[in-house]
Amino acid sequence: MHETSVTTRELTRRFGRFVAVDRVSIEVGSGEIFGFLGANGAGKTTLIRVLCGLLKPTTGEATVAGYDVYTQSERIKQNIGYMSQRFSLYEDLTVAENIEFYGGIYGLARTKLRQKEKEILKNFGLHRHADSLTAGLPFGFKQRLALGCAMLHEPPILFLDEPTSGVDPRARREFWDTIHETAGRGTTVLVTTHFMEEAEYCNRVLIMHVGRIIALDTPDALKSRFEKRTMQEVFLELVGKEIGETRTRGQHGEQGEKP
Amino acid sequence: MRRIVHMTQKEFRQVFRDKPMVAIIFAVPIVQLFILAFAITTEVKHTKLMVVDYDRSTVSKDLVLAFVHTDRFDLAGHTTDLREVREGMRGWEVQMGLVIPAGFGADLVRGLKPQVQVVSDGVDGNSSGIATGYAHGILAGFGADYAAVQDSGAPPAGLSSVRMEERMWYNPDLSSQQFMVPGIVVVLLTILPMMLSAMSLVKEKEIGTMEQLSVTPLRKHQLLAGKLIPFLFLSYVELAIVTTVAVLIFRIPMNGSYMLLALLALLYLFATLGLGIFISTITRSQQQAMFVAWFFMVFMIMMSGFFIPIENMPPVLQKLTHLNTMRYFMSIIRDIFQKGSSLPFLLRDVVPLAAFGLTIFSVSVLAFRKRVG
Ligand SMILES: Nc1ncnc2c1ncn2[C@@H]1O[C@H](COP(=O)(O)OP(=O)(O)OP(=O)(O)O)[C@@H](O)[C@H]1O
Ligand SMILES: [Mg+2]
Repeated sequence: MHETSVTTRELTRRFGRFVAVDRVSIEVGSGEIFGFLGANGAGKTTLIRVLCGLLKPTTGEATVAGYDVYTQSERIKQNIGYMSQRFSLYEDLTVAENIEFYGGIYGLARTKLRQKEKEILKNFGLHRHADSLTAGLPFGFKQRLALGCAMLHEPPILFLDEPTSGVDPRARREFWDTIHETAGRGTTVLVTTHFMEEAEYCNRVLIMHVGRIIALDTPDALKSRFEKRTMQEVFLELVGKEIGETRTRGQHGEQGEKP
Repeated sequence: MRRIVHMTQKEFRQVFRDKPMVAIIFAVPIVQLFILAFAITTEVKHTKLMVVDYDRSTVSKDLVLAFVHTDRFDLAGHTTDLREVREGMRGWEVQMGLVIPAGFGADLVRGLKPQVQVVSDGVDGNSSGIATGYAHGILAGFGADYAAVQDSGAPPAGLSSVRMEERMWYNPDLSSQQFMVPGIVVVLLTILPMMLSAMSLVKEKEIGTMEQLSVTPLRKHQLLAGKLIPFLFLSYVELAIVTTVAVLIFRIPMNGSYMLLALLALLYLFATLGLGIFISTITRSQQQAMFVAWFFMVFMIMMSGFFIPIENMPPVLQKLTHLNTMRYFMSIIRDIFQKGSSLPFLLRDVVPLAAFGLTIFSVSVLAFRKRVG
C-alpha cells in the first residue's frame, strides 16, 4: 500500500441544505480493500457516487487514480469499475450480450473480449446461463454478472456498492474470494456493506454516521481499541444501534434508492 | 466509432426482442393508414335524398334523375308529404329532401324562375353543407341544360347565360385520400421517432442503466448516436412501407421525387428525434415520457393543417402554427406527392423546416445530460 489511489480532503456533498457527506478525508492505497460501514442514509452511496463522477462534490477535494473529480471525470472513468447498489444491467439482454455490450463500450478488442467473456462465464459459474435473458436469473447470479461487467476492462480501482446484499451466505463467501483475488492482483477495492462479518475481510474499514467519519482503521485495531471481539460489537458501541444481520431484505435487495 | 456500433447493436437487440414493440412499429402504421384513410374523408357521397314531387311532370322526373345519376345522391324514396321527410330524418333514413312545387316543369318551359326547396339534415353541418353545394351545382346545370335544349336562340331570361366549368387540378376527383394519406406519413414520422427515442432514453434512467453508462468512458455523443441511429433507420423503413402502401394500394399518385422526399424527411426526423431527446430530459419515467409525447403530438397534429385547414383558424392560431415543425413538413409532403414540386418550389417550407429541425436537435442534445445527479 504504497501509492494512494483514492484521496479525499474535507469532501462534502449537500442535497439542498441536507449534508449527505460531511468533510470526509480518506486515503486509500492501491491494492487495498477498503470497507465502508454505516447505517441506512449514512452517506456511503453518495460518497461513492461522488468518487465515480456521478455527482459533483459540493466542497472539498478528491482525486481518483490521480485525477481530479471536478475536472478530469472522463479520465477517471477509464480507470474505475462501478457496481451500483441497484442492479443495473439490461434485463432484456442475455448474459453474454450484456458482457459483449459493456466490453464494447469499454473498448476491449474483439479477441480480448471473447477471452474475458469466457473467463467471466467460467469463474462466476454463469456458463450455463450465457444465453438466458438476464431478467430470469436468480438474484445472486445477477450480482455476479454485475461484478463481472464492472471488472471487464480490468480497472485499477473498483467501487462496489453493497455487492452482497440479498445474496445467500455461500455465494457471499465466493464473492469475497473474488474480491480478494482481484485485490491480490493490485486492484483497489472500495466496498460498502451491511454485513459486519464482511467488515473483517477488509484491510481497513471506515465507519460512517450521518455523513461523518466516526472511525477509520483496520478491523483488528478497531476491535482492540474498543476491547470487543467482533466488528458487530464495535459498530454497536459506536453507532448505538443494530444493523447488519437484522436488516433483512427482499430477494432483490433493492431498496428505494432516492433519485 | 466502435462504441457507437455496440450501442446501436444493443439498441436493435432490445427493440426486436420486445415483440409488442415490433408489432407497434410495423403493424400499427398500416392499420392506422387504413383506418384514417377510409374513415377520415371530407367527401360526401351517397346522401340519402327523398323527393317530394308536387309537379309530377317529365321535367321534374328529369330533375330527379339528374340528382340520382351521380354517386353523390341516392334516392331514399318518393313522397307527396313533406312530413315524411321529417320522419325519415328522425330515423336517419333521409338526409336531404328535394321539394319540387307544382307547376315547376311548366314554369321552366315558359322561362320563369321556378324554385325548388332543398331541406337538409344539419346535424352533421359539414357534410350537409357540402351536399347542399352539390345540389346547387346540379340545379344550376339542370337549368342551363334545359334552357339549351328548349331554346335555339337567346337563352331565356332568368337563367344564367354564363356557365362555370369547374376543373380541379392536382386532385381532379377531390379525393380526400389523396390529401390525407401523405399527411398520415407525416404523423407516423412523428410518433415513431419521438416516442421511441424518448421512451428508450428514459427507460435507461428509470432502470438505472444510465447511471452505469455514466461511469463508462462512453461519451454523450456516442450514447446519443447509438440510440438514435436505430430509430432513424426504423423511421425510414416505416416511411418506405407506408409510401409503398399508399402508392400501390391507395393509388395515391406520387408525382414528385422519392429522393427529395427521403432527403427532406431527414430534416424532419432531426426535429422529431430531437424532441424525443428533449422529452427524455424533462421526464423521469416511461409513463411520463409517453404522456408528454402525446401532448406534443396532439398539439403538432392539430396545428399542422392535417385535419383543420390552417386558413380556417383564427389569426392568432395561424401565427402559432409557424412554430410547429410539422406544419412545414405536412405541406412539403403534400406538395411533393400531389404537385410533384421540386426543391425550389418548396423552399418556403424547407427553410423553416431545416431551421427548426437543426435548432430543436442541437438544443436537445445540449440539454441532455448523461450525469444523473
Ligand atoms: N439525490 C438526492 N437528493 C436528496 N437527498 C439524497 C439524494 N441522494 C441521497 N440523499 C440522501 O442522502 C443521505 C445519504 O444517502 P446514501 O444513499 O448515501 O446513504 P447510504 O449510506 O448509501 O444508505 P443505504 O445503506 O440505505 O444505501 C440519505 O439521507 C438520502 O436521503
Ligand atoms: Mg447506499
